[in-house]
Amino acid sequence: MKVIGFFVLLMVGVSAGAAERPQQIIMGIVDNVLAILKDASLKGPDKVQQRRSKIREVVQERFDFAEMSQRTLAVHWHKRTEDEKKEFVALFKDLLEGAYINKIEKYSDEDIHVIEEKIEGSFSTVKTEIITKKAKIPIDYRLKSVSDDKGWKVYDVVIEGVSLVNNYRTQFQSIINTKGYDALTKMLKEKKNG
Amino acid sequence: MWLYWILCVIITVEIYNVKRFDTEILVGVFVVLGFLSLAYLSVKLGNLNILSENGYVVIAQFNKTGGLKKGAPIEIAGVEIGKVKDVSLDKDTYQANVTMFIKPEVKVQEDAIASIKTKGLLGEKYVQISPGGSPTLLSSGGKLRETESAIDIEELISKYAFGEVK
Repeated sequence: MKVIGFFVLLMVGVSAGAAERPQQIIMGIVDNVLAILKDASLKGPDKVQQRRSKIREVVQERFDFAEMSQRTLAVHWHKRTEDEKKEFVALFKDLLEGAYINKIEKYSDEDIHVIEEKIEGSFSTVKTEIITKKAKIPIDYRLKSVSDDKGWKVYDVVIEGVSLVNNYRTQFQSIINTKGYDALTKMLKEKKNG
Repeated sequence: MWLYWILCVIITVEIYNVKRFDTEILVGVFVVLGFLSLAYLSVKLGNLNILSENGYVVIAQFNKTGGLKKGAPIEIAGVEIGKVKDVSLDKDTYQANVTMFIKPEVKVQEDAIASIKTKGLLGEKYVQISPGGSPTLLSSGGKLRETESAIDIEELISKYAFGEVK
């Protein structure tokens, strides 16, 4: 709480152009997801679907999957039609969910806190840290203020200095360059269906 | 180009002098020639940009450069597209400001990601740029917001291999 108090003081006078500051948004996501995980009525293997859809709702509200998709497809994004873009956004979202939902569900009372918040125009970086028994894992969230929405949305997550967008960008790039875009969507669909 | 013209002038003068058998002037000319070559060599080898190259400057901030040096290459897909012009410390944020000089024909999008990579396992550091998908291109003096700092392999190994205290 001390840390947060300090940053609230520090950020006074900085107009974010939004009601909530980026770090409050990040902590909001974290708190909401943790509340779902701790919810006794949602525990147990038979409630998996229910629990996951609730987590999905929370994340979807604050993660800009369209922006993420544009950044990961990079130079190939403009070559796609509007329908293809929409399809890709949905597929990419499923891919991320498949990759991270298990890890989120494994959460067991690790300490998560914000270290620093930086705002530069319509971009912001929130540095957080997860303290596990083994090590401190730095996780930076990159946010962009979205004009047609209520405030900031996450477009990239940098874990241990490695950017999520860049990781998928290089992978997708090499798949598209060697096998073509259709092969990529096919792979993503196959992954989604198990 | 101008160096070439000077050489041409000197050579004409030299031929003129040879005709007149004026050895003293001839020696002088060769001395001047020697000095010029020396100057040219030092400019070339020292990577001094006296002969101003074309290009534009892009700035990126990194948490850790891992010893990135001035003059280090900037690459896209392994092809050199520029050089690191300057590495300095930001006095307020204690981050590294890396000024990059990029060839004019290479356009960089504002959501491109700059990462500091190592050649081989223990080799030299260089900057790799992965092009983005934004329609907005960076202009001269623009800032590359997305960066990945150098990954400290030793730190990672110690963290995940020897991290357990209990």
